[in-house]
Amino acid sequence: MLQNNAGETTTEADELRLAAELSRSFASSDNVDATVRIALGNVMQLLKVEAGSLFLVDEAAGDLVCRASLGPNSIEGLRVPAGHGIVGRSVSEDRIEAVEDVSRDAGFFANADATSGFVTRSILCAPMKVGKKAIGAVEVLNKQNGHPFDLRDRDMLQVMGNAAALAIANARLADQLVEQERIKRELELASEIQKSLLPPADPDLPIQGINRPIREVSGDFYDYFTLPDGVIAFCLGDVSGKGMNAALLMAKTAALFRCLGKTIRAPARLLSILNREICETTSRGMFVTMLAGLYDPASGLLRFSNAGHLPPIVRKPCAGFRSFEASAPPLGILRDIAFPEETVRLENEMFLVFSDGVTEYRYGDKEELGPEGIDMLLNLSEGKPLGERLEDILKELNSGGWRAKDDITLLAIDDSLAGQIWRRVPSIASAESRSDFLFGLTIPAEADRLKLMRPVLAAAGKAAGFSDVEVADLELAATEAAENIILHAYGQGQRGDITLAVHRLEDGLMLRIRDFAPKVDQAKIHPRPLDEVRPGGLGTHFIRAVMDDANFIPLPDGEGNLLELVKRRKKD
Amino acid sequence: MAVAGITESEGRLILALEGEIDLEQAGAVRRALLDALKKGRTVLVDLSQVTYIDSSGIASLVEALQVAKKQKSELALVAVSQRVRRVLELARLDKVFQIHPDLAAATAAGAGSPGN
Repeated sequence: MLQNNAGETTTEADELRLAAELSRSFASSDNVDATVRIALGNVMQLLKVEAGSLFLVDEAAGDLVCRASLGPNSIEGLRVPAGHGIVGRSVSEDRIEAVEDVSRDAGFFANADATSGFVTRSILCAPMKVGKKAIGAVEVLNKQNGHPFDLRDRDMLQVMGNAAALAIANARLADQLVEQERIKRELELASEIQKSLLPPADPDLPIQGINRPIREVSGDFYDYFTLPDGVIAFCLGDVSGKGMNAALLMAKTAALFRCLGKTIRAPARLLSILNREICETTSRGMFVTMLAGLYDPASGLLRFSNAGHLPPIVRKPCAGFRSFEASAPPLGILRDIAFPEETVRLENEMFLVFSDGVTEYRYGDKEELGPEGIDMLLNLSEGKPLGERLEDILKELNSGGWRAKDDITLLAIDDSLAGQIWRRVPSIASAESRSDFLFGLTIPAEADRLKLMRPVLAAAGKAAGFSDVEVADLELAATEAAENIILHAYGQGQRGDITLAVHRLEDGLMLRIRDFAPKVDQAKIHPRPLDEVRPGGLGTHFIRAVMDDANFIPLPDGEGNLLELVKRRKKD
Repeated sequence: MAVAGITESEGRLILALEGEIDLEQAGAVRRALLDALKKGRTVLVDLSQVTYIDSSGIASLVEALQVAKKQKSELALVAVSQRVRRVLELARLDKVFQIHPDLAAATAAGAGSPGN
């Protein structure tokens, strides 16, 4: 049995019970404010005081702020400048302060009493530390029995203050962990969303890309998609900077490309529209290097425009490579500039675009990978599927010695694959090389939409210098092709679209008519013998009779059917 | 509608077609032709107002001609525009159908005799 100077008895069991309760409450609380309140309540109960408050150091402001206050009047939120008042002195001098009569202490911060109306007689204040770092102080006011604080009170407050300091430090750590976990989850989510912006790998397409961000999110991107006439639109870009703001600009640029790329069939024009958009709306200092292009697997013809991005390369196995310097600045710097366009015909070659994260890969301290290194690595994987070859490059870079500084992104078009999937038709290849896309339109595969297609086609025919009879032939051929699609490709009850793309050739017009129906076995389509007078089967005959070329361009399974028709002006 | 009307003159049914005859209108044209062949022994198809025809319209005409032959009726085409003639030629049907330059010529030619 212990007895304090007030003659009150506190059993050791009482103290142990309170101490145990205190630790239990501390352990179960993972929130700083709740912990502070519990600590103060327990201390006050143990010391039997009229009021108490707990101050924490506000590191940003450099003063002490009252985070909990219990008693007749709350001073929660009260700020005490560092070193001021009894509480400030306790913290800055790192010692317990016991003041029997505050009216005789020059350091007493009387503001609190003045505003609260509470009369402070005596104060006991203990500093709280974690390691060597002061985090605040706990103070109690006026023993309930009117006696001054004794030695035992001092010891108990010091012990409780230390325990509270540890609990507060734990709660702060827990808060930080929760916040870190939240940020990590958000980054993971952003990374996932960003990955979903990249096109899915399609082994049937002669184009594939790969992207490995150095952090959770990437400032690099690539995209590609097939246009209605089989031409593939593609791009690869690199946003300046890394992290979340780069990733957001990347998402915006990628979305703009995907949207504009479906209608604008000129890479240079597309880049200048993107450039204006980014100049108008992007915060200063951020820019995007980007290469955009169109590749026709049927002809190997590739058009591209480069806004400040690394030169792409065209390579053949073990035969070196050629590259094409960019001649325009990145997007987002100068508003009204033109972007030049380049045209290459791939001859079973590979076209490769990459971000500087790839070429600037370093071995040790000196050597950079460079385009030569990429070319060399590709020589090693000849004959493998395209996606695997890109993975091989990443694998090599991840193995010993190489160090990444940046996001790694590669986009490859393998024209030799296109040669295997798309049968080349020599006459078409030569026609396409001098073709100019005029317009495209999509109609539902329904009979009452056919008449809507003819006037615009007739106008294109007239503009291309065809006679009235020839214009009528064009209308007839396109309608017959569309009717075949409605009746045979889609068939009874099936719905779908028909697209018509019209290209101007030097000496005529080229029409590409596509459906998205299951593949039609072209071998089974032949015009019927004309000496047999019966309805049906005439359409294909009409098409062949009025057009100079009519060829089905084989598409990968699931991509529909594509008929290419060419009509040339008569030479006189 | 591609079927402008049907009139009777001196025992012949005159079926007037108009506009664009493609897959959308071919069904209506076919029904009108077969209907006319049920009603009259001689059917003249006035094509003067037809601005477009393709294989689906031609198919209806060919089917009607076959029905006519089977039931020993007459079916002749009248006032074939250059555009429609081009399609008939492409199908090598310009010699198979009786074709009259206009209704007066069709009347003068009389039933049963070839138009050209």
